[in-house]
Amino acid sequence: MLTVFNLQWLRLIREPVLVFTFFGLTIGFVFFLAGSQGSSTITIQTFSDTLSEQEVAVWLERLNESDTYTFNYNEREEVENELRMSQISFALNLEADNYSFLVGQDSHFIAAANQHIMQTFQSYLRINEVNAQLTDETVSIEHYVQSDVKTLSTNVSEHDEMGLHVVAGMTLYFVIYTILFNLSNIVLEKKTGTWDRLIISPLKKTQIYIGQLAHHFMLGMLQIIISFVLFHFMLGYNFGTQLLTIVAVVMAYVFSIVALGMLVMGLVRSSQQLQAAIPIVATAMAMLGGAFWPLEIVTNNILLFLARLVPIRYGLEALIRTIVYNDSLLDVIQPVSILLLMGVIFMGLGINLMEKIK
Amino acid sequence: MFEVEELRKKFKTTTAVDGVNLYLEKGESVGLLGPNGAGKSTTISMMSTLLSPTDGDVRYNGKSILKQPEIIRPVLGMVPQEIALYEELTALENMKFFGRVYGLSGKKLDNKVAEVLELVGLEDRKKDKIKNYSGGMKRRINIAVALLHEPEVLIMDEPTVGIDPQSRSYILEMVKNLNREKGMTVLYTSHYMEEVEKLCDRIYIMDHGQVIASGTKSELKSILSSEETVLVELQQKQVGFADQLSELDVVQKVIEVEQGFKIIATKADQLLADIFDVAKREQVQIIGIHVQTPTLEDVFLHLTGRKLRD
Ligand SMILES: Nc1ncnc2c1ncn2[C@@H]1O[C@H](COP(=O)(O)OP(=O)(O)O)[C@@H](O)[C@H]1O
Ligand SMILES: [Mg+2]
Repeated sequence: MLTVFNLQWLRLIREPVLVFTFFGLTIGFVFFLAGSQGSSTITIQTFSDTLSEQEVAVWLERLNESDTYTFNYNEREEVENELRMSQISFALNLEADNYSFLVGQDSHFIAAANQHIMQTFQSYLRINEVNAQLTDETVSIEHYVQSDVKTLSTNVSEHDEMGLHVVAGMTLYFVIYTILFNLSNIVLEKKTGTWDRLIISPLKKTQIYIGQLAHHFMLGMLQIIISFVLFHFMLGYNFGTQLLTIVAVVMAYVFSIVALGMLVMGLVRSSQQLQAAIPIVATAMAMLGGAFWPLEIVTNNILLFLARLVPIRYGLEALIRTIVYNDSLLDVIQPVSILLLMGVIFMGLGINLMEKIK
Repeated sequence: MFEVEELRKKFKTTTAVDGVNLYLEKGESVGLLGPNGAGKSTTISMMSTLLSPTDGDVRYNGKSILKQPEIIRPVLGMVPQEIALYEELTALENMKFFGRVYGLSGKKLDNKVAEVLELVGLEDRKKDKIKNYSGGMKRRINIAVALLHEPEVLIMDEPTVGIDPQSRSYILEMVKNLNREKGMTVLYTSHYMEEVEKLCDRIYIMDHGQVIASGTKSELKSILSSEETVLVELQQKQVGFADQLSELDVVQKVIEVEQGFKIIATKADQLLADIFDVAKREQVQIIGIHVQTPTLEDVFLHLTGRKLRD
């Protein structure tokens, strides 16, 4: 089993182009979409009637320490104009030790922005107070500021769901390609005859299958985890605190996709058919399962029903819940169980079909 | 030691193997001869536990291997008809992998790989990828991976198809040595009768899924002992000449060949005289006439009325 497993890695290292392409596409698409959507920063127009330009500049600098918001100075007149034209939904008015919002239309960003602004104000006002009393105790002051920043970032991630949806959706979508194309090695092995060589060797059939499948499973896991690590460190996406649950969800998802691949291979007759089937299966599933757009915007009942049949939907649901809402494994046990069940069914059907073609 | 009894394999539309009986004794070198589509590959697929037969039995040392494939698997070396190797890997990597599959490891594996590489004469090319090998080299490695575990029985499915004469005679020589010196039992499948004739003690001739003749070379040729083969070389071939020859009582078959016609006839004193008579009548100029001892090709021709290959 280990022999077969190791061999697959060796083969992958020798001909890595295909896998690297899909891995690269995942990263590329997310960079592109994250860049063009700009969903992770929100610009807030800021003005002041009472503060001097320098005082405003100091506050802007403090407020802009967050990556999520960009505070932009503008004249009151201009701001009111933009509000009237509905170009912006609200604006920030800075006062000496206080602030207020000018609201054109209700936006759910106001609450989040307010939290951020309030915390900035409070911490700086308090630091000023403390500074005035105890000029030496800088250590405790920094600590206070840090703890504030932490609560801030968890709040922000709730509003970053759209961005994370893209990241998770694309990652889960492209890994289907990697796994299915890599799995087609089995079809190729059957064609070249190396598969038959193994079948008539002393190895058991289960050893051959497990060795193969373990390789494809690991490859899928690696692609998703490396993608997430890159998105975290290069694009600053926050994956929350439930990292082990994320790994568990990804494992269940990858298992279901490997199994789906086996089913697809059991259904097609030739490797040409397989090459054609893979993109169709992957894209149709991703569309139905909500990898490209949230399922909330789908209203057609047939599509919603079909969505229930594709693994990517459950993978996405569980991932978003763990990443954005810090749900534990117990909270997402339902979608994870569905993924595992789908995996078992697909695998059973797939292997049976493959064994029958003889 | 290795017996096949009333073996049958039906596919959806064809019966590829139709009641085949054959046996191998320990240390024997046996040929399985037949044209493309005769059912040779299907027969040995069933012997190697790759396919399960529709009917019949395969026994090794008296035990049926259909229910217990583990009896034969560790001691069987199988050289498939196609190049069944990982093309993107080197010869060495392929050999090490298949060696491990048969339970070899460590120093033992290394030694065995080196030994077999030397045997097939590819020591110095072992670090090249298979896809960069020539056809003959691929064939040799294809055989090599089947030899690593020192099989008791070696089954080869057309191991010399599509390669240059040097590689071909190299392989034949190698198989001959394995059989004569190492006592390996060999079943050699081919549609080249001269290979089988050179290599094998006994021969089975297959056609349309059935064994149509079997025995030692001389036994098979004695089928034709009451006949003779005459090759008539002509200046210019003429159909009328062939037709006239077929009319003769003793002539059984007339086959057109490159230089003229090949005649299979019952041994008779006046045959040559008759041929010259016909030539005179038809005004055909004979430039040569050869009386040949029968080949296995002729045996096949006699049995089926067809040539072994086109
Ligand atoms: N898997 C299969 N499905 C259907 N027909 C097959 C299959 N394998 C072989 N055949 C048919 O069985 C016959 C014998 O084939 P084969 O054993 O490969 O002949 P040979 O090896 O002597 O050339 C051929 O007519 C071939 O088309
Ligand atoms: Mg064949």
